[in-house]
Amino acid sequence: MLVRNFKGNTRAALPVFIMLIAFCMLSGGAVYAAQAEQPAANAKAAAVEAQEEAKTGAEANAAVTAEEDEAAKDAVAARLEEIQKKNKRCLMCHSREKTKLLENGKEMSLQVPKEAYLDSAHGAISCVSCHKAIGKIKHPSKSTNISIASEREFSVELNESCRKCHLQKYKQYKGSVHYALVQQGNEKAPVCSSCHNPHAPVSMANFQAETGLPCKNCHENIYNAYTASVHGQARLHGNTIRDSHIQAPICSDCHHSHEITALAIGDVLRTTCIACHENVTLLHNQWLPNAGTHLDIVSCAVCHAPFAKRTFDLHLYDNTAGVPLAMKEGDAPIQEQLQAIASEGGTGDPLEIWKSRYGVDKAVDISLRSRMEVMSGVAAHQIASKSFAVRTCESCHEPGWRQKQNVTLTITTPEGMKQSFEADREVLSSVKAAESISDFYALGGNPNKILDILLLLSLAAGIAVPIGHFTLGKMIREYMERGER
Amino acid sequence: MSSMPTEQTNPEAWLKTKDSELYINPLPVRIWHWLNALGFVALILTGTHIRYQDKFNLMTFETAVKTHNWVAFAVMANYLVWLGFYLFSDRITNYHPELNMKKFFDKAFAQIMYYSYGIFKGEKSPHKVVPYDKFNPMQSITYQIVMLLVVPIQFATGLMMWDVKRFEGVIAMLGGLEVVNTIHVLIYIFFVSFTMIHAYMGALGHTPVTHFREMFTGYEEEH
Repeated sequence: MLVRNFKGNTRAALPVFIMLIAFCMLSGGAVYAAQAEQPAANAKAAAVEAQEEAKTGAEANAAVTAEEDEAAKDAVAARLEEIQKKNKRCLMCHSREKTKLLENGKEMSLQVPKEAYLDSAHGAISCVSCHKAIGKIKHPSKSTNISIASEREFSVELNESCRKCHLQKYKQYKGSVHYALVQQGNEKAPVCSSCHNPHAPVSMANFQAETGLPCKNCHENIYNAYTASVHGQARLHGNTIRDSHIQAPICSDCHHSHEITALAIGDVLRTTCIACHENVTLLHNQWLPNAGTHLDIVSCAVCHAPFAKRTFDLHLYDNTAGVPLAMKEGDAPIQEQLQAIASEGGTGDPLEIWKSRYGVDKAVDISLRSRMEVMSGVAAHQIASKSFAVRTCESCHEPGWRQKQNVTLTITTPEGMKQSFEADREVLSSVKAAESISDFYALGGNPNKILDILLLLSLAAGIAVPIGHFTLGKMIREYMERGER
Repeated sequence: MSSMPTEQTNPEAWLKTKDSELYINPLPVRIWHWLNALGFVALILTGTHIRYQDKFNLMTFETAVKTHNWVAFAVMANYLVWLGFYLFSDRITNYHPELNMKKFFDKAFAQIMYYSYGIFKGEKSPHKVVPYDKFNPMQSITYQIVMLLVVPIQFATGLMMWDVKRFEGVIAMLGGLEVVNTIHVLIYIFFVSFTMIHAYMGALGHTPVTHFREMFTGYEEEH
């Protein structure tokens, strides 16, 4: 395939190349002619000559390329025939129902769907190019058995064989949360074959995206939330949003297909939303005071998933790198640490507890940042139509708002996932934590008793001073009048 | 001046004759003062609504914030009327008629004594209101602090909260949004009593309406 493409490209490039040489000669001749002040006819003659020369050369080259191409085609066809012959030999047995007993006592099917396989892109690849173990030794028999611990282990092992041809996709996958989880030994995290049937691969364009597969296999709750959302409904009914040319998003539009990342970390989600909703800032600016700040610290779903449970989410932020601080590989039980910090946060500064407990390098410039988030991934997908979005400012900007909030502590795990733990609500009104969370301030939502008392005093003075002064004057005058009498 | 008609002797002549009166407040000052007064009341009401919106149900939070912002910009523009007028008018002497500290303190003390006692006995104010020296020392110092320090701080903190993102650097330098808001609220608290007491003291002129009339017409009867 690669050889053919390369040849094809060369052949296509040759005439262009020759024309380019001719053009250079032509322009060179013209310039020379102008410089030497020779008659224009001479230059023209030279140019015609050059063109003719170039034409002859091109014809000769084209003849050679055609011959080479023909030969290459023959070679590829021969090779393909050979591969298919070998594969058919494998399929003689493996197209039938066959199983293998695994070490875990379970049976694994060895059956390959013959027609689908031969018709697929993988049909042109030799079986043993992926099943290398078979290629290296004789076909397993009673004497040469290949022991396989489990079907999962077999899939993980064979995952590497995809890399050879699908290097770019494999690299993307390697940077994903899915890959990180596989490396961690997570039994459910997907390998290539979890989404793509290796014996009957189909182009992603043929995927029935609306069915939610393959994502739904693991993320069913989220898929259900999505289908009920404005995005899901638009996609399922007519596929477009408000008759525009833009298709409503499916999973991969936001999460990508191979480089899957957790969107809820940092600014990723907002950037993703804005990628389609380009005029978001402008639209919010039209009515929302401090729109920029709101877009910075309030996650889209907080207002656009009106029934979602919200939380005041605290996370450590690496100011030097400009990204949320992620835990490193092999860090001591994150879960326990976080839970302890979350529960202790009620009386102290989560940032300090976090630092001392977790031992964050003091040299790193870290701060505690806060955002309004929805409580769960499911909630984040329950995006409603714009008309249902929360527009009552009071839902956040009301006195005692901080005390009513759910509070979560969040960290990015080494594999790039977001992990949150519920913390004590008291942390938001804790004096010790005041400095750490000072970047988050909801106007009208942060009561301060001292200021309330001062206001009452001021109001009292505003009333008492005039009344007092007036009354005092009246009393003095009356007293003086009595004295005069 | 005693030959001039008075309100009691000839009310009609008194109204028509300006000879007996002093032109204390030129038009720009009067425009500024009343717009500012309306603005302050609106800002205090909407501000109170923003801060204690669970206790009032006059308007939504959104309306309160938006009204507060618009009125604030009007008040800021109006402030320039005041500043411009006094910067380019010789009436600026109202704010510093004489740079003599001893005299200032003596006069200030006399003024305090007047308001706390003399006024009740029917004494005359120790300060005589005249066009280029209309403020008593207490007014002069208070208004200068208010107009050149307190009000600009209120404008600045208000602007910062109007567009937090634009001013995030300054806000961070000041110690965060909570600090900025607390300053803004403290000044608001000050203005609550200031406005009320200011209105009451306005009624402590020669007659209760003297100063109000002076602020509407510009003229004050010479006493």
